[in-house]
Amino acid sequence: MHDETVLNMTGIKKSFNQVNVLHGVDFSLERGEIHALLGENGAGKSTLMNILGGVLQPDDGQIECHGHVMKMDGPHAAQQQGISFIHQELNVVPDLKVYENMFLGTEIRNKWGLIDVKEMCRQTQDVLSQLGVYIDPKAYVSSLETSYKQMIEIAKALLKQANIIIMDEPTSALTDQESDRLFELMRSLKKSGVSIIYISHKLKEITAVCDRYTVLRDGSLVGTGKIQDIDIDKITQLMVGKSVNTEAYDVDRTLGEPVLHVNNLTREREFRDISFSISKGEVVGFTGLAGDGRTELFECIFGYRKKQHGDIHVHGRKVTITHPQKALRSGIGFVPKNRKENAIIKDLNVIQNMSLSSLGHFENKGLINSKREKQKFSDYQQDLNIKVHDPSVMIDSLSGGNQQKVIIAKWLEVNSDVIIFDNPTQGIDVGAKNEIYQQIIAMADLGKAIIILSSEAPEILRFCNRLYVMFQGEITGHFPREAASEELIMEYATGSKKEAVKIGSSTEKTTQ
Amino acid sequence: MAQVQKKPPNEPAHNNQKMNLSWIWSEYSVVIAFLIIFILASILNDRFLDIHNMTNILMQVSTIGIIALGMTVVMLSGGIDLSVGSVLAMLGVVSVLALNASGSILVAVLVALLVGAATGFINGVLVAKGRIASFIATLGMMAAARSIALYIADGGSESGEVEGFTNISNNAIGIIEYPIFIFLILTALIYILMQKTRFGRYVYALGSNEKAALLSGIRVDRIKIGVYTLCSLLVGVAAIIETSRLNSISSSSSGNLYELDAIAAVIIGGTRMTGGKGKIIGTFFGILLLGVLNNMMNLMNVSPYLQGLVKGLIIIIAVLFQKKE
Repeated sequence: MHDETVLNMTGIKKSFNQVNVLHGVDFSLERGEIHALLGENGAGKSTLMNILGGVLQPDDGQIECHGHVMKMDGPHAAQQQGISFIHQELNVVPDLKVYENMFLGTEIRNKWGLIDVKEMCRQTQDVLSQLGVYIDPKAYVSSLETSYKQMIEIAKALLKQANIIIMDEPTSALTDQESDRLFELMRSLKKSGVSIIYISHKLKEITAVCDRYTVLRDGSLVGTGKIQDIDIDKITQLMVGKSVNTEAYDVDRTLGEPVLHVNNLTREREFRDISFSISKGEVVGFTGLAGDGRTELFECIFGYRKKQHGDIHVHGRKVTITHPQKALRSGIGFVPKNRKENAIIKDLNVIQNMSLSSLGHFENKGLINSKREKQKFSDYQQDLNIKVHDPSVMIDSLSGGNQQKVIIAKWLEVNSDVIIFDNPTQGIDVGAKNEIYQQIIAMADLGKAIIILSSEAPEILRFCNRLYVMFQGEITGHFPREAASEELIMEYATGSKKEAVKIGSSTEKTTQ
Repeated sequence: MAQVQKKPPNEPAHNNQKMNLSWIWSEYSVVIAFLIIFILASILNDRFLDIHNMTNILMQVSTIGIIALGMTVVMLSGGIDLSVGSVLAMLGVVSVLALNASGSILVAVLVALLVGAATGFINGVLVAKGRIASFIATLGMMAAARSIALYIADGGSESGEVEGFTNISNNAIGIIEYPIFIFLILTALIYILMQKTRFGRYVYALGSNEKAALLSGIRVDRIKIGVYTLCSLLVGVAAIIETSRLNSISSSSSGNLYELDAIAAVIIGGTRMTGGKGKIIGTFFGILLLGVLNNMMNLMNVSPYLQGLVKGLIIIIAVLFQKKE
C-alpha cells in the first residue's frame, strides 16, 4: 500500500516581489501515509502548500497528481483533485449549525429548490460516525470544543471525498487529549487510503504519528526520509541549520523577598481559592490542560477580569486591581497569549508598540519625544536581538518571534517587578523559542519575578524553579523542578491526583 | 504566514523605487486627488484662482472642517458620531439664548463650548461605560439634540441681539476671515494632539486593537469619553462660527447633513472606517477637496440638484482608489 505515489511536486519555484521564497522544491506523497512537512517560520511550508491548494500559482515547476500533470489554477481545481486544506485558523462559522457548516456552499436542495435539511443531517451523521465522533448535526458550532470544530473541518474534507488532506498546525489550539483524539483519527484515515500532509512545530507529535518527513529551510529542500530513521535532534538541526540546545537551564539563583502574594482568589465558575506566592528572581510555571482556568486567573490578577473573593499583595502591600492600568502601576506586567489579538497593535509601528505602556518615559512637556523613543528602542533591539531593518515599519511585518521580543521590550520598559507570560512561545519557531526563554531567564536574573503559563509542561520545566498544576480552576499540584516529571504533572493536570497547597510552604520548598 | 517576513539584503533598486511610489500613493492619495481637482478647476474656470474665490472656499469649508477634525478623532478610535449636525443646531440655539440673556459674547461662547463638551461627554459615557455601539448612541443623540433645538426655538430661528457677535465670523485680518484662522489653528492643534501626545497614541491603539490597548494598561474607557467630548467641543466652536455668520441659527435646518459631509471628508482623507489608521492631514485635504469641488460646480453653473451626484461619485471613487493599497 505504501508504494503508490499520489502526488509529485517537482522543481516548484515561487517569488514574491522579487524575493525568492521557494527555490525549486520537490515534494512527493504516497497513498495512505502521513507526511510531515517541517521547517521554521519563513521556510516556505505555507507557500508550498498554498501552491498545492491552488491559492498561489508557482513561477516554475510542475504538480503531478494521481499520475497526471495538473495545473492548479484555483482552490476549486485543487478540490476537484481531492485535495483539502485545513488551515491553522479554523474555517468554521460558529453561529451556524454543524450540518450547515459541513455543507456551506454546497447545500443539498430538494426538487423545490429548498434546502434539504434531513438529507444533509443524515450525511453529516454518516461522516461523523465514520470518524468515530458523535456530534448532533443540529448543534451550533459555537457550543463545541475546539477539537470537535477540527473534526468538522476534517469531516468536511471527507465529505468532499478528499484523498489528500493538508493540516496546518492542527494541534496548536488543542489539549493533549484532544490531540490524541486527532492522531487516532489520522491513523484511521491513513488506513482507508487517505494521505495527509502534516505541518507542525511540535516535533514530538511528528515522531509519534508521521511516517515520512520533508524539511524545508529558507525555501529549499534540506532533507526527506522515513521518520523511523531520524530523531528529534537531527530534525531540529535540519530545520535550524545548526544544533539547538534543548538542555534544561540553570535555575540556581538566589531568590529575594516575596513580591507577589495571592490569597484565596476566587471567581465563580473560573477558579477557586487560588493561593500562591512568588519571590524576586524566581521563575514559576503554571500548567494544566485547556479549560483549567489559568488564563482567567492571571487575567484577573492583571485586572482584566473582576475578582470576587480573595486578595492580592505586592511587596507585602494589599492592592486593589480593578483595571489593567492599576496592575501596571502596582508593578505587574502581562504578556498575553494570542499575540495577534491581545498584544500587538498592528497599526502602530515597532517603536510605538514598544513604548505604548510607558509613554510617560518619553514625554517632554506633554509631547512625545520620538527621538528618545527611537534611542530606547535601539537599546532593546540590541539587548533582545530583535531583527528588524527599519523599526518604523508596522509591527505585523515582523515574524512572530520578533513581535514577541518587542512585547517583552515593552514590559522591560515599564519595569514591572512581576511579569506574567501566557504561552509566550506560541507560533514561534524553535530557534526563536530558545531566545525568548533566554530573555525570560535574563529577566529573572535581574530580579524580576516571572510567571509562565503554558500547556507544554516539559518545555517550561526547563527553566522554572517550580511549577503549579491546575485542574478545573483549582491548583491541584505544586512541585519544585527536581520533583516534577511529565507523568506526575499529567496525573495532577487530569485531576486524578490532588494535593493541598499550603500557603507559606511554597517558598521553602524551592530555596534549597 | 511565512513568505513576506524576510527581506533579502540585496533588494533590487528599482523595486525600492516602486515601493516608494506606492507608499506615496497610499499615504498621500488624497493630496494627489486634491491637486488634480484643483488644477482641473483652474483650467476650467479662470475665476477659480482669484484670491477672493480662494478665501471664499476656505470660509465655506471652515465649519464642516472643524467638525471633520473631531470626526476624524472619533473614527480613528473606531467609533462614529452621527450627532454633530443636530448638536450644532442645539448649541447654536442655546448660545444665542445665552447671548441675548446675558448680553455677553464671552458667555455665549462659553455656553456653546461647555454644553458641547457635556453633550460629547454623554455620548462618550454611553459608548464607553454603557457599551452601546457608537452608531446607536450618537443616533439617539442626533434625534434628541435636534428635538431640544426645535423645542427651545419653537421650530423657528433664534437671532442674536448683541452688537459685535457677528464680528466673530465676519471680521478679517487682511482678506482672511477669522473662521479660516480658527480652522487652520485647530487643524494644527489636533494634528499635534494626534501625532505627538499620549492621548493621540492611545486613540490609534484603541482604534486598532481595543483589547490589546486595554491589556497594555490604557484606560480605554476614559480615552473614549475624551474622544467624544473633544468632538462635540469642536462642534461647539463650529456652532459659534455658524451662528455668528448670519447672527442667527435655524433650529430646523442648521447643521442638516453636516455629519455626512464630515464623514465624507474623513473617508476621502483616507481614515479607515473601523479605526486605527488615518491622518488629520488627510481629513484636511479631504475637506478642501470637497470645498473646491463645490466651488467649481457653482462657478460652472452645474445644477444644484446634480451636485450631490458628483459629490457622491467622488467619495466612492476616492475610496475605491484607496482600497488598492
